[in-house]
Amino acid sequence: MDFDAIVVGSGITGGWAAKELTEAGLKVLMIERGREIVHGQDYTTEMKDPWDMPFRGEGDKALYDREYQVQSRNRHFTEYTQNHFVNDAQNPYVMGDGTDFTWFRSYQLGGRSLTWGRQSYRWSDYDFGANKRDGHGTDWPIRYADLAPWYDKVEQFIGVSGAKEGLKQLPDGQFQPGMALNVVEQHARSAIAQRWPERVLTIGRTANMTEAKPDEGRTACQNRSICARGCSFGAYFSTQSSTLPAAQKTGRLTVITDAVVEALDHDAATGRVTGVRYIDTKTKTRRTATAKIVFLNAGSFNSVQILLNSGGERGLANGSGVLGTHIMDHANTLSAMALMPGFEGHTTFGNRPTGVIIPRYRNMDTMDGVGHTRGFSFQGGALQSTWTQGNRLAGIGADYKAKLRQPGPWRMVLVGFADCVPRETNRLTLDRSRTDPNGLPLLKVDFAFGKEELAALAQAKAEASEMLTAAGGKVMMGFDRPGPGGTAIHEMGGARMGHDPKTSVLNKWSQAHEVPNLFVTDGAQMSSSACQNPSLTYMALTARAANTAVGMLREGKI
Amino acid sequence: MTHFPTWSRRDAIRMAAWLTAAAGTPVAARSVVRKAARGGPALKGDAAFLDAVSQTMIPRTATPGGGDVHTGAFVAMALAHGLHGARQPLAADTTSALRAYARPDGSLDHIAWLRGALDRRAAPSFLAATPARRHTALAALDAEAFAAGGDHHPWHVVKALILTGYYTSEAGGSQELRYEAVPGRYDPDLPVTPQTRAISNDWTAVDFG
Repeated sequence: MDFDAIVVGSGITGGWAAKELTEAGLKVLMIERGREIVHGQDYTTEMKDPWDMPFRGEGDKALYDREYQVQSRNRHFTEYTQNHFVNDAQNPYVMGDGTDFTWFRSYQLGGRSLTWGRQSYRWSDYDFGANKRDGHGTDWPIRYADLAPWYDKVEQFIGVSGAKEGLKQLPDGQFQPGMALNVVEQHARSAIAQRWPERVLTIGRTANMTEAKPDEGRTACQNRSICARGCSFGAYFSTQSSTLPAAQKTGRLTVITDAVVEALDHDAATGRVTGVRYIDTKTKTRRTATAKIVFLNAGSFNSVQILLNSGGERGLANGSGVLGTHIMDHANTLSAMALMPGFEGHTTFGNRPTGVIIPRYRNMDTMDGVGHTRGFSFQGGALQSTWTQGNRLAGIGADYKAKLRQPGPWRMVLVGFADCVPRETNRLTLDRSRTDPNGLPLLKVDFAFGKEELAALAQAKAEASEMLTAAGGKVMMGFDRPGPGGTAIHEMGGARMGHDPKTSVLNKWSQAHEVPNLFVTDGAQMSSSACQNPSLTYMALTARAANTAVGMLREGKI
Repeated sequence: MTHFPTWSRRDAIRMAAWLTAAAGTPVAARSVVRKAARGGPALKGDAAFLDAVSQTMIPRTATPGGGDVHTGAFVAMALAHGLHGARQPLAADTTSALRAYARPDGSLDHIAWLRGALDRRAAPSFLAATPARRHTALAALDAEAFAAGGDHHPWHVVKALILTGYYTSEAGGSQELRYEAVPGRYDPDLPVTPQTRAISNDWTAVDFG
């Protein structure tokens, strides 16, 4: 099989690469390691009610303990969504001494675009300039202005709802109307702004549409908040709802599923990749495909794994020796939870599929972080209890049943996300002594948070508590220790972008310094982590890289 | 063992997850109950006993009660499959009275324990007792679990599973409470009236209680 381009992976960035490259006229092969999932028809649990589910939505704990030990710790993993996550027993990985890393994965057409949290934030120059400012990691070779038009393009196409706030640290975008703050959140926004004008509580900017896109067969969000089951309305961005149909519409896309790429083929004479080697997992046969350019979009860690398994013992595009290093994930914990008295006469209707965000406000123009040089932000929201409050209520009988009949007390929660400093010791390697069921060496993860993240979360806990208190809340609890690495599901880095081929894998176009027809445009390319969700930035970088690659191809440069 | 009266870190993190015969029990589930309870064959009458407990905890009012919708079958299956930590080994400092009900795998046989605890309080038999005596016996057990130091009391696991079984049944979820499969809109501020019912499928609220 010979193509103009091969895209490895079909998730958030793979879909974008396929769309951009096919729309530019290229004949593209998209290779996905997991099974096919057809939009709408294969969302098998989407319309199920709890009483239709054998375990009423909670799932078979015995099965999860045996086969989904990691994935079942994912906050989106339920009986309804377990078919959108990998079986851990069949997809092992290795952790180094002292590492506790929850690697959440979705091996299927659409990848994690089906299960993602949909929070869509631009990064700012505080983020792209972070490494240069404090000396951690390597300087990004791009700044916000390089990416701004690509953010515009991506937001308009995928559909992002949100409110414009005019913040330097969280630039506004091309938003559909934002979802509404509820009555308690609106109160908290006002109370916080009154005391701390620089702290802005705003509705989450989410890839759930508030306006339909009828030309693309996409409907506005129905406020079900069951997105990870798959959405036949096409109301949130996924590969299936958005980029895949666009790419297919060109007639230039070929999709192969159930095909695990084991390595890239590299021609040492030309210094270029010639294609990919993959395993057809249904027939267990090895195959190859060739192309003029390759886009790696397998997911941050998987893309690094493929590079490490290509081109010899050292891996491909690794003259610098930094391939696999400086991986990151946001340090993430529940900073504060409070009861919010005074709103007993108020309630809401509908399941809004997003919370709120308080963007970073520390270490911007003044270095005012305590023990850390970067940012932290909060996500969360206010909500009322329902029947599960009965777990904490003493009593039985008719009175007890009557208490559960009405909505319970309001609570508000702020979850801290701290910027993760890039460190050489946090890294991915291959354990060639052990293999997976496909015979491929296992990925080994070494990861630990450091004093910077712990200091940021300590400050986040204190300040979350003071904000909820200022809003009239009675703080019940809060934490300053992060969950295991991977908890934020923002694992990134490993093939970082940089100015210098001696210290980075990719250049400013997401192009391998050493392999000009190879582009890595998923989270592996990230040089720092910021403290807001990264997926929108991955998409913008992918669209930008695809445009560059097509230009280079046409000019005969690659 | 999971403890419910106070917030655990897991409860809290789940809550942050936004970010983020009536129905009866399905045939497949009933089959699982028969095969898997106690790690072996279910004892005859377990589901009926748990239905009686469920009906006492959530009685019939204008809507069906816990037993009416066969919550017992769900609870028996859920206990066998370890939901809410039901198959975790007993703690080292567990009393000998409780340890007498341990399964071979070291976890508590909640059904056997509950039978013993309720039969003692409604002697000679909870099932043979009048509804009023059943209520008194279960209320006493519940009070014991919610007293100081009762965070690890095994009743909390059973109570939680009865809640799940009932409010995720069609009657509990959509007759006793309100169930909206496709809300279609979000209203951010509505008045609470005497007619207002909690939404059984407000998933974020379900996660954090």
